[in-house]
Amino acid sequence: MIYPASPSRSTDGIDDLLRQVAGGNRAAFERLYHDSAPILLGVCMRVLPDRSEAEDVLQEAFVAIWTKAAQFDGVRARGLTWMGAIARHRAIDRLRGMPRGTRLPVEAIDEVADPEPSAETHAEASASRARLDDCVEQLDRRRKHLIRIAFFEGVTYEELAARTGSPLGSIKSWIRRGLQQLRACLEQ
Amino acid sequence: MNIPVEQVDFETPRDDDLFAAEYVLGVLDADDRRTAQARIAREPGFSALVGDWEARFAEWLLRVVPLNPGEQVWPRIRTSLGWAPVGADSHPRADGARGWKVATALAAAAAIAAISFAFLQQRPVQVQPPTIVVNPTAPLLKRPVTVLERDDGHAGWVASFDANTQKLHMAPVPVPADVQGRVNELWIIPAGQAPISLGLLSAETTQVIDVPAALRSQIRAGATLAVTLEPKLGIPHAAPTGPIVAKGSITQI
Repeated sequence: MIYPASPSRSTDGIDDLLRQVAGGNRAAFERLYHDSAPILLGVCMRVLPDRSEAEDVLQEAFVAIWTKAAQFDGVRARGLTWMGAIARHRAIDRLRGMPRGTRLPVEAIDEVADPEPSAETHAEASASRARLDDCVEQLDRRRKHLIRIAFFEGVTYEELAARTGSPLGSIKSWIRRGLQQLRACLEQ
Repeated sequence: MNIPVEQVDFETPRDDDLFAAEYVLGVLDADDRRTAQARIAREPGFSALVGDWEARFAEWLLRVVPLNPGEQVWPRIRTSLGWAPVGADSHPRADGARGWKVATALAAAAAIAAISFAFLQQRPVQVQPPTIVVNPTAPLLKRPVTVLERDDGHAGWVASFDANTQKLHMAPVPVPADVQGRVNELWIIPAGQAPISLGLLSAETTQVIDVPAALRSQIRAGATLAVTLEPKLGIPHAAPTGPIVAKGSITQI
């Protein structure tokens, strides 16, 4: 595996721990848990306010992280972001009542597309980008509001329509237009 | 199948990139999530689109209040993986179980951090009472903390000083790494004096800093803790050259 040089990472940073975990290092996995579990529990609890459900999901997430650590390429995302996304998607799946049996095997989900990223990909990932908050701020009030609720609560289109009393088609349209605007803004 | 007109979005039909965005945003129902997950597994192109959207939302992803998991979680992870609940490969941390103490101190300061986050969440923030995992030697919940605030008002780090051990505990609220590859350096600025480096500071993990004997008396009310972005080479530096990203005045420590 090619590890791009990254002067901003300290010796025992999460990315390094993940690489050690990928090599089967259990002590590194324990350190990884101690360092990142509080943040990941915070991610789970934002979606699932019930503590014991959130801790169940946290457990599942760390099992997935152990199993999939070799897939973390360190280029497309930071380790903590990669881990956070795993935790959040599991929490949302739980919220949707998706029983474990119907979910794909852990190895298959979130598979990284490019096992050998090119130098060009790395450069793109490092390129300066406008911050998400700045771009969201530029959206009209309704799109901004809907996108924030959607992300922070993990609610479906249908639930948003029910909560706001707006037609489902309109909710979809507003959010999709908002997402397109965000993409354009973040690409600047 | 007749879909009622008002449920159809005529203006912005879904394409793959939008579907990937909707998956990451979290608005898809269970069926659509299953479809998306199947496509992530089978289609590298779609998986890449999802990865790009995860990166776009990364700042929001980690903007949470950290909370200590209960003691039973780690043993259960081990047993799920088929390991003994407490293993021979389990090494005590160099600072004992202090990592949890820092997290506890952070949770105790969560009310401060929660105010920054509250405007982002559309429902009242629930601050959970922290689970104390180890026996504290000092009443941690009463230990004063200094919050180092960023320009945007969000908490950057929460600092607390253990006078018994003369160690400074720093707990970060993670943010994306500096695009130029600079690192965070912590400074103590005694009132009216030049900044003195306390070294490299993690923006991702809790960290315990051994304060050099000569500087311990400087960690006191009236001084300021500040974090700047600096090149990694040459830390600790003689003086800051990069921008200040967070600072907090020590009123009690």
